[in-house]
Amino acid sequence: MAQPPLEDMAVSRDWASGRLFAAMVNSSDDAIVGETLDGVIASWNPAAEGMYGYAAAEIVGRPATVLYPPGVEDEGQETLAKIGRGEHVPHYETFRRRKDGTDFPASVTVSPIHDEADRLIGTSSFTRDMTEQMHARAAAEVLYRADDLKTANGSLENFTYSVSHDLRAPLRAMSGFSAALLEDYGGALGEDGRRYAERIVAASEHMAALVDNLLRLSRLSRAEMHLDSVDLGAEAAQIAAELQRDDPGRHVRFAVQRPVRVRADRALIRMVMHNLLGNAWKFTSGRDDALIEFGTAPAADAPVCYYVRDNGAGFDPAYTHKLFSPFQRLHPASEFPGTGIGLAIVRLIVERHGGRVWAEGAVGEGAAFYFTLDGEESS
Amino acid sequence: MTSRPILLVEDNPDDVVLTLRALKKNNILNPISVATDGAEALKFLFDGDGTNLAGPGLILLDLKLPKVDGLEVLHRIRADERTRLIPVVVLTSSKLEEDILSSYRNGANAYVRKPVNFAEFAAAIKTLGMFWLLLNEPVPE
Repeated sequence: MAQPPLEDMAVSRDWASGRLFAAMVNSSDDAIVGETLDGVIASWNPAAEGMYGYAAAEIVGRPATVLYPPGVEDEGQETLAKIGRGEHVPHYETFRRRKDGTDFPASVTVSPIHDEADRLIGTSSFTRDMTEQMHARAAAEVLYRADDLKTANGSLENFTYSVSHDLRAPLRAMSGFSAALLEDYGGALGEDGRRYAERIVAASEHMAALVDNLLRLSRLSRAEMHLDSVDLGAEAAQIAAELQRDDPGRHVRFAVQRPVRVRADRALIRMVMHNLLGNAWKFTSGRDDALIEFGTAPAADAPVCYYVRDNGAGFDPAYTHKLFSPFQRLHPASEFPGTGIGLAIVRLIVERHGGRVWAEGAVGEGAAFYFTLDGEESS
Repeated sequence: MTSRPILLVEDNPDDVVLTLRALKKNNILNPISVATDGAEALKFLFDGDGTNLAGPGLILLDLKLPKVDGLEVLHRIRADERTRLIPVVVLTSSKLEEDILSSYRNGANAYVRKPVNFAEFAAAIKTLGMFWLLLNEPVPE
């Protein structure tokens, strides 16, 4: 339906007088700013004063470019040019600068102003401060993401449960029925047959260990972190004592720097130390003069890095990139047992602390594992 | 040794066979009833003439069961005056903290994770049988 001409309206005289227009402009929440064709501010409503911080008296007559932050300073001219060509300028979102130099997100509508002879004399722009809407939008986004994450974590939880329960049952059957074969039909199986059945038992146990480690890895990646002041040197010394106690036949010299204070989750960082020192212990098993060191060294991208170094079997540097992937092993299980999860756990924990881990080594010349952490404390 | 029957609530037929085998290997000769899901366990305990109510001297209960899950079965056992004193050992593959906690909260007497290795599994069954059927002084009848 077409608008009735103003003259037909009962209040037409009041409208035509401009009094009501002025009232609308003055009471608007949007900044309404008039500009001349030269881009000079010609009118300034109270909302503009509130939004930008300039009083009408100090801003009228000045170029509108003072309202444009760097990056959008050409916007005014472009808009004027479009309007000059008679083009419609659709409402757009941009930024504006307040008197105090701060910027805010803005939604802007610009329309031409014509004089009585229908000549273009300037523009009027309606500007809305979008700060709150942006915050609301960001908050909604965060909620949406959190919801997504919750769903993802939920399905991971189910997956974890199902892995722990469903994979173990068939493994138990493999182990159990192989054992039953051995016990009840061992004679009929013969020597080879018995060895095969034993291999099934061993393989099912190995897979059970892998499943458990996979679960541990998935739980670690979601575990809550409680940062605390931890002396890595004291942890290292304690782990060294445990390793020695569990394997008293070995002669291993430990050189542990103390104290080495860090901010870390105690349980998690202990797991890192345990894995690194445990590996060093394991891979020096062939040496009578085994030496395992823990200490700090300068680092390129952090104030300091921590290292565990040994003079054991080492590894082929060509495969360094494989070291930290789950279930990657660079040594045959017959030589050094393990499931290949330890260094994957180390990397996961170090990265969760905002650090990184890397390794240096050579076959027969030992290995050194370095890591950084985000929250160092001075030693 | 109490000669009261054992109720084994287990849906996995392999685990049923292995558990029965482990019991037999360890000379635990009590009669054994097997329920292969939670609903069947509840039916065994609560339906019929009531003779089964005080029946089992021990219930070995898996958690993840079809129809009615193990925690619900446990809850129902503890909620009923007639069954609430029967020792219930949760015997499951899970070692999720939530499962362990909920089991104890619902009144489990013990929580044992089934080992994959049969020798360890048999040893666990033996220990459970020895403790609950022999060493432990049962509720007076």
